[in-house]
Amino acid sequence: MIKKTKGSKTAVILASVLLVFTLAATACGGGSGGKGDTVTITHYTIDSPDRTFVEKLIPDFEAKHPNIKVKVTKAPYEQFDSKLQSSIAAHNAPDVTSHWGYGGFMEYYNKGMLADMTPLMDGFKASDYNIPEDVMNIYKVDGKTYGIPLNSYVTVMLYNKDLFDKAGLPYPPTDYEDKSWTFDKMVEYAKKMTVDSTDISKAQYGVDFGWGERDQRPQYFGADVYSEDTWTNGGKPSQVNLTKPEVVAAYEKIYGLIYDQKVSPTPAFSKSVSGQFGDPFLSGKIAMSVVGSWSLAASSNFNFKVGVAAVPQGPNPKVRSVLYVDPLFILKDSKHPKEAFEWIKYLLTTDVQEKSIELSGGNPPVNQKAADKYYSNFEGIDPEQIKQVFEGAYKYGFESYNHLISNYSQINELFINELAGVENGDKKASEALPGIQEKLQKLLERVNK
Amino acid sequence: MNRAEIKQLPSRLLLFLILLAVTAAMLAPLVFMLSTALKTTKEMLVYPPRWIPEVFAWSNFRELFANSDIKFGQQYANSLIVAVFSVVGTVISSSLVAFGFARYRAKGSGFLFMLVLSTLMLPYPAIMIPQFLLFTKLGLHDSLLPLILPSFFGSAYMIFLLRQFFTTLPGELYDAGRIDGCSEFRLYWNLTLPLAGPALATVSIFSFIWSWNDLLSPVLYLDSQENFTLPIGMAAMLSSKFRIAPWNLLMAASLLSTLPIVVIFALAQRRFVQGIVLTGIK
Repeated sequence: MIKKTKGSKTAVILASVLLVFTLAATACGGGSGGKGDTVTITHYTIDSPDRTFVEKLIPDFEAKHPNIKVKVTKAPYEQFDSKLQSSIAAHNAPDVTSHWGYGGFMEYYNKGMLADMTPLMDGFKASDYNIPEDVMNIYKVDGKTYGIPLNSYVTVMLYNKDLFDKAGLPYPPTDYEDKSWTFDKMVEYAKKMTVDSTDISKAQYGVDFGWGERDQRPQYFGADVYSEDTWTNGGKPSQVNLTKPEVVAAYEKIYGLIYDQKVSPTPAFSKSVSGQFGDPFLSGKIAMSVVGSWSLAASSNFNFKVGVAAVPQGPNPKVRSVLYVDPLFILKDSKHPKEAFEWIKYLLTTDVQEKSIELSGGNPPVNQKAADKYYSNFEGIDPEQIKQVFEGAYKYGFESYNHLISNYSQINELFINELAGVENGDKKASEALPGIQEKLQKLLERVNK
Repeated sequence: MNRAEIKQLPSRLLLFLILLAVTAAMLAPLVFMLSTALKTTKEMLVYPPRWIPEVFAWSNFRELFANSDIKFGQQYANSLIVAVFSVVGTVISSSLVAFGFARYRAKGSGFLFMLVLSTLMLPYPAIMIPQFLLFTKLGLHDSLLPLILPSFFGSAYMIFLLRQFFTTLPGELYDAGRIDGCSEFRLYWNLTLPLAGPALATVSIFSFIWSWNDLLSPVLYLDSQENFTLPIGMAAMLSSKFRIAPWNLLMAASLLSTLPIVVIFALAQRRFVQGIVLTGIK
């Protein structure tokens, strides 16, 4: 019908080629633009006030280090990993970050994302920053340091004083050496404070046992899901023991709190009183909650009087608390590891760690000198009690599996999906575990080739 | 009232009651959103939740705009810029391509069309990294351009939708246009587009909503706070595992963020519904 002349076609092609070239020409290189000898390092973190507060520390740092500029980039929690992976793929990697998303240290390490910091650490003494040596060791592989601890969270028990008063029960102790405070005693207390009712406005539960991630929970009962070599070979279990009698018994006990003892809320109840990620303890309908100590930061917002106590003594005498030590990493692709390390060291100084407590709204410093200030940061809770609970938790603590096991986000997802039926009461733990065992083995074979 | 009307009364009443119940069910979440948006931090955690807050905390809305951590106003503006330009880009490019597919027959045009449609099968995560690399290499990283430019290169879904509509327009129209001396471009610009109102309204609404709700690509491309879009800001409010989510602020933000969708829908509603009906007719 229509005749297109050759000329117009060529013109169109020419025009489009030109357009692409102009775009490319006006583009400035995405490298680190530096005038003279200043370098810019990027600190990548989660977009939430308790992480982005480091922006407020930058002016002071830059004044002390005139040759270093710090830029903070951020992403929401759910997208943290995607953005990190994309920027690494595009050779646009940040210099300093942490495993703030779903993945953990071992995952980063095994993907070859982390720089070995050992050469940078000439003259670096953990004691100068009051970091306990064993905490430093968490992020060492074969004696080389891949991460420097920054914050350390532990597992604590929070309890609702109002509900304890109403039931006429004594408050649980803060001393880990008080061996009368046992798991069974906790269940006994919980029974007295439970109102198991289908009417959600009347229902009230004694305890919410959120101890570690799902695959770590049996550890509290002295049963190990993963073989011992996991902790020494880079987080790759040679064996998983989900069908071992003691592991099965541990899971039976954990979910028995909901369905046999009926002292713990069902997931449906928790969701309905607290939303998707919320903590049901905040609703005031849970008497005791075993959780990560980050829940303490919200203590001023509670509608009731809150206390903090020791995690009760379970069947495992050695491990009563999960430690979540958040490190800082320097990425392998960092163009300025030396300057990045200066920034990390600055963040660890006693003075900055103390300031960070206030600025972040209550992040627990790894620097033990700054820790004292942290203990007195919570209104209505006695600093001495918090100190005692933290020190006990360190003494009887084990690092969270998500930092130690490779490809943890996939493993965790498997546990969440496969245990959902057990958590909702559709099946028994003993029925679900053999299937999980098989799937987990297949997954590990696939990812740890 | 005559007899026939009286006879119909019970069934009408029933219908009315059913409609009322459905409306209430649809509106309940919105009302609860408003209720939460007006609660203080302490009251939003009270259980069981109250429908009517004790104190109306209108300050939540002020807080959204005043809080320097949230930067709500800036994010709103960025989201609007991206969405509006995406609509313009999608409408122009997709309608042009669709016009070509609908009006011209050439060797391989069917195959080409299949090729365009097959891109629908590629999920965004599959092209995410290569596209990210491309824009980074072009130096457009950390600007709104990577979120806008792709829409100027057509979207397979919209091309399909518009092509189906254009093929329903009678060929005589175009013959008449040609006899009157229209250029091919004028056939598209002065003849097809004005007739395609309903379809274009549909495309506009869809592309606006997609762009308005998009979270992943803005997160990838944007580094500076001043470039952030609304979904990033709202996701960030829920980002902290270490404190209570500010549900009240989040609900206030959600309410304000549904406004443009409501406005654009109200404006285009008649044509939009028409568009859905028409595109269903062969």
